[in-house]
Amino acid sequence: MALNLRQKQTECIIKMLNLNQAVGTVGGTANEEVYKILIYDRFCQDILSPLIHVKDLRKHGITLYFLVDKDRNPVLDVPAVYFLQPTPQNVQRIVADASRALYDSFHLNFSSSIPRPLLEDLATGTMNSDSIQRISKVHDQYLEFVTLEDNLFSLANKNCYVQLNDPSAGDKEIEEIIEKIVGGLFCVLATLAVVPVIRCPRGGPAEMVASLLDQRLRDHLLTKNNLFTEGGNFASSFQRPILCLFDRNFELSVAIQHDFRYKPLVHDVLGLRLNRLNVKVEKGGMKSYELDRTDPFWTANGSLEFPRVAEEIDAQLNKYKKDVEEVNRRTGGDEAQFDGTDLVGNTKHLMNAGRTLNEFAEKESEMMVRGGIDRNELLGVLKGKGDKMDKLRFAIMFLISTETIPPSEIEAVETALREAEVDTSAFQYVKKIKSLNVSLASANSASRGNIVDWAEKLYGQSIGAVTAGMKNLLSNDHQLALTRTVDALMEGKPNPDIDSYLIFDPRAPKSSMGSSGSQMKGPFKEAIAFMVGGGNYVEYMSLQELVHRQQPPKHVIYGTTEILTGDEFVEQLALLGRKMGLGSVPPIAGSSSR
Amino acid sequence: MTKARDRTEDFKDAARRAALNLGYDESKIAAIMASFIMHKSLERSMFTKAALTTLESIRALEQFLSKHKKDYVDVHRITEKERDSIEHEVTVFIKACKEQIDVLKNSINDEEENSKGWLGIRSDSSNADTIAHKHGVVLILSEKLHSVTSQFDQLRAVRFRDAINRVTPRRKVKQKGPTVAESSTSGNIESREVSNSETRQTEDGQAEPIRFQQRHLDDETHALQVELGTMLDAVQDTETKMVEMSALNHLMSTHVLQQAQQIEFLYEQAVEATNNVVLGNKELSQAIQRNSSSRTFLLLFLSVLTFSVLFLDWYS
Repeated sequence: MALNLRQKQTECIIKMLNLNQAVGTVGGTANEEVYKILIYDRFCQDILSPLIHVKDLRKHGITLYFLVDKDRNPVLDVPAVYFLQPTPQNVQRIVADASRALYDSFHLNFSSSIPRPLLEDLATGTMNSDSIQRISKVHDQYLEFVTLEDNLFSLANKNCYVQLNDPSAGDKEIEEIIEKIVGGLFCVLATLAVVPVIRCPRGGPAEMVASLLDQRLRDHLLTKNNLFTEGGNFASSFQRPILCLFDRNFELSVAIQHDFRYKPLVHDVLGLRLNRLNVKVEKGGMKSYELDRTDPFWTANGSLEFPRVAEEIDAQLNKYKKDVEEVNRRTGGDEAQFDGTDLVGNTKHLMNAGRTLNEFAEKESEMMVRGGIDRNELLGVLKGKGDKMDKLRFAIMFLISTETIPPSEIEAVETALREAEVDTSAFQYVKKIKSLNVSLASANSASRGNIVDWAEKLYGQSIGAVTAGMKNLLSNDHQLALTRTVDALMEGKPNPDIDSYLIFDPRAPKSSMGSSGSQMKGPFKEAIAFMVGGGNYVEYMSLQELVHRQQPPKHVIYGTTEILTGDEFVEQLALLGRKMGLGSVPPIAGSSSR
Repeated sequence: MTKARDRTEDFKDAARRAALNLGYDESKIAAIMASFIMHKSLERSMFTKAALTTLESIRALEQFLSKHKKDYVDVHRITEKERDSIEHEVTVFIKACKEQIDVLKNSINDEEENSKGWLGIRSDSSNADTIAHKHGVVLILSEKLHSVTSQFDQLRAVRFRDAINRVTPRRKVKQKGPTVAESSTSGNIESREVSNSETRQTEDGQAEPIRFQQRHLDDETHALQVELGTMLDAVQDTETKMVEMSALNHLMSTHVLQQAQQIEFLYEQAVEATNNVVLGNKELSQAIQRNSSSRTFLLLFLSVLTFSVLFLDWYS
C-alpha cells in the first residue's frame, strides 16, 4: 500500500468541505445544506492552495471563500465552513462572527487539535452573546502541514533553524518550537494513519523531537477510538514505515550549494512557492504559473540537468509547431495563435540567470568531491562575475568542504568577499562553528541531560553534528549523506554509520523496550524522512532517485520544517552570525539583488 | 475514514460548564442543550428555495438520463420513435431548467435595483457578499446543467454516428441493387432478344406480341430506374438532415455553456465588488478625515486673518 500523502490530504479536505458527511451520496436525500461559504486563515490558505483550485471548490458547493480577517457581511440562511488554526485570535474572530449572526450555521474545523481552554473560551464567548446554537459542529482535522507533491511536505515553520541554533534561546522557546514540530509531524502521521518506528541520531533537536513524538503517540494510542485503528496491534515491520529524523547540521552543504537541475534551479532562482511562480514579463506585468503534477513537462523533466532541459524544450516546441501546422492543414482554418507557451517564458528567465550559476555548481561539486580546491581558482571565481549571494554561498561551501584550511587562505577569501561588498556574517558564523569544533571535540558526549541543560547541550551538539556533517563529503556517484543514511536505515542491516541511532517504537509496550527493540530493525518498504531546520528540492529528488533505482521499488516521503532556497538558508546563517556578534556591518547597498 | 476527530461532544460539555459559570438556571441550560440536538433551521429565503427546486429538477434529469442511457445507446433495444420521444422530453426539460436559471439570475439583478431605495442606500439583506453568494449559486447550477447536457450530447452523437453508418452501407447495397437489377434486366433483354431472334426465325407470326412484350419490359426497367433514383435522393436528404440535427444538438450544449460563462462573469464581478466595498470604506473614512482637517485649517486661517486685521486697526 503506497502512502500517497497528497491524495490522503485532499480526501480529508474534500470531506471537510462536504460538512464531514460521506462524499458521493448519489441523488439520495435532497441535502438542504448544499451551498456553503468557506472561511480560512492565512496558514490554512497555504494548506489549501496546492491541493484545490477555485473551480473545484464550486463542484463541492462552495460559493464564496474569504479570509477570516476580512470584514464580512451577513449572508443569511447559508452554512459556513471555517478552517482555521486553533489560536486565541481565531477563536475571538469566530465569537465575533457568531454574535453578528453572519451566517446560518457554523461548522468549525481546526487544523490541529484545539486545546480545552480555547474550547471553553469559545463556549463562554458564544454563550454570552446568545449565539451558541449557531455552532453546529466542531472538528479537529489534523491537517496542519502543506503538501507540495505526492511525497513532499513541509510544516511551514519559519526560521526554525535560527531559533533552534540561537545561542541566546531559552529553554522555553526551544520547547515551544519542538512542540510545534511534533504537532505537525503528528498531523502527518494521523493523516497517513500509520504508527511508524522512529529512528534518529543521538543528540540535537532530532532526538528531542523523536522522544516527544514517541510520548505523544503512546498517549494517544491509549485513548479509545484513536486515529490509528488499522491492522491489529502487532503489525510486522513489513507493513509499518520507518520515520527517520535528521538535523540540518547533519549535512549543511546541501542547503547551500548550487544545484543545476531544473526543479531546484526554478525554486532557487525564480522563487517557486506553493507550486506557484510569479515572473515578470517583458511588458512589465507579472504573470503567474502553476507548476505541479498536472504539468507534464514539469513532471517529466524536473530532475534533468539544465542544458538537457533546454534541449527538451526545443524538441517540445518543434513538436508543437508541427502539430499546429497539421491542424491548420486539415481544417484549412485561419492561423492559430502561436503565442509562447509557459515553457518558453519560464526558461528564458532561467537562461538569463543560469549562465553564471553553471560555473558555481560545477566548481562546488568539484570541491565536495576532491575535498579542496586550488587557491587561484577559488579567488578567481570570487572576483569574477556573479551575484553576491552566489559568491557567499560558494565561499561557505569552500569552508565546509576542506578539512583544515590555512588561515592565510581564509584571509584571502574574506578580503575577496569584502571587496565584492558581501555581508560576511554567515561566513563568520560557519567559520566560528568550525573553529569551535576543534576545541569542543571532547564535549561531544551523548548524555541525555535534563530539561535545564537543553540550551547549552543543544548548542554543543549542534557543533558536534556540524563536524560529523563536514565529514560527509559526497562520494563519487554524487549521493547525499542523507540518501545513504536513509538507505541504510531502510535496509536494517548492521552498519557502523547508523548503529548509534536511537530507536523508538510507540506501539511496543514500555517495559520491553530494550529487548524487543531488535525486532523492529528489519527491512522497511516505506520510509518518511524528516529534516529539522529546513530542506530543499535537491534532497527530495535524490531520495526519489534512490527508491526508483531499487528492486522492488520502495517508497519514501520527504518532509521538512520549511522548504528553503540556498539564499534563504544563508540569510538565516547570517542572522545567527549577527546574533553572535560576528561579521561586518553590511554596506548600505548590501542586500542581494538580481 | 474518520480522520477528523469530532469534538462536538467536548464543545457541549464546555458549553454546559460555561452556562453553569454564568449562572443560568436549569431550564435555560436544558433549552441550550436541546438546541444542539435539534438544530432549528432558519426560514429559507425565496431565492434559496427556488435554487433548491432547480437543483432537484436537474438531479431528476440526471437520473432520467442514467436510467435510459443503456436503452438509448444500444442499437437493438428500442425503436427510433422511442428514441425520438426520449430526446424530445429531455430537450423540453433542459429548456425548462435553463429558464428557471435565467429567472433566478434576473431576480438577483432586480433585487439589487429595487432595494436601492431612495438615497441609494442598500437594505441589509442585499449586501455585496449576499449578492456574490447568489451569483455563485446560480453559477453552480448552470455548470451542473452544462455537464448534464454535454453528457446527453455525447449520447446523441453516438446515436447519429450509428445511424449514419447504417445509412451509408445501405446506400452502397442499394447502388449495387439497381445495377444488378439493371444488368439482370439487360441480361434478360439480351436473352429475350436472342430468344426473340431465335423464335423469329421459327415463328414470324408471333413477332407482334413479342415486340409488345419488349416495350413493356422497357417501360418496367425505366420505371424501376426512376424509382431507384428518387430513393437515392431521399436517402441523401435524410443524411444531410441528420448532420444538421447533430450540429444543432451541439448548439444546445454550447448555449448552456454560454449562459454559464455569462453567469461566471457576473459572479466574478460580484466577488470583486465585495473586495471593492472594503476598499471603498477605507477611502471614505480617509476622505472624511481629510475633510474635517481641512475645515479646521480653514477656520483657523480665517480667524487669524480677522484678528490680525483687528489688531492692525487697533494699533494704528
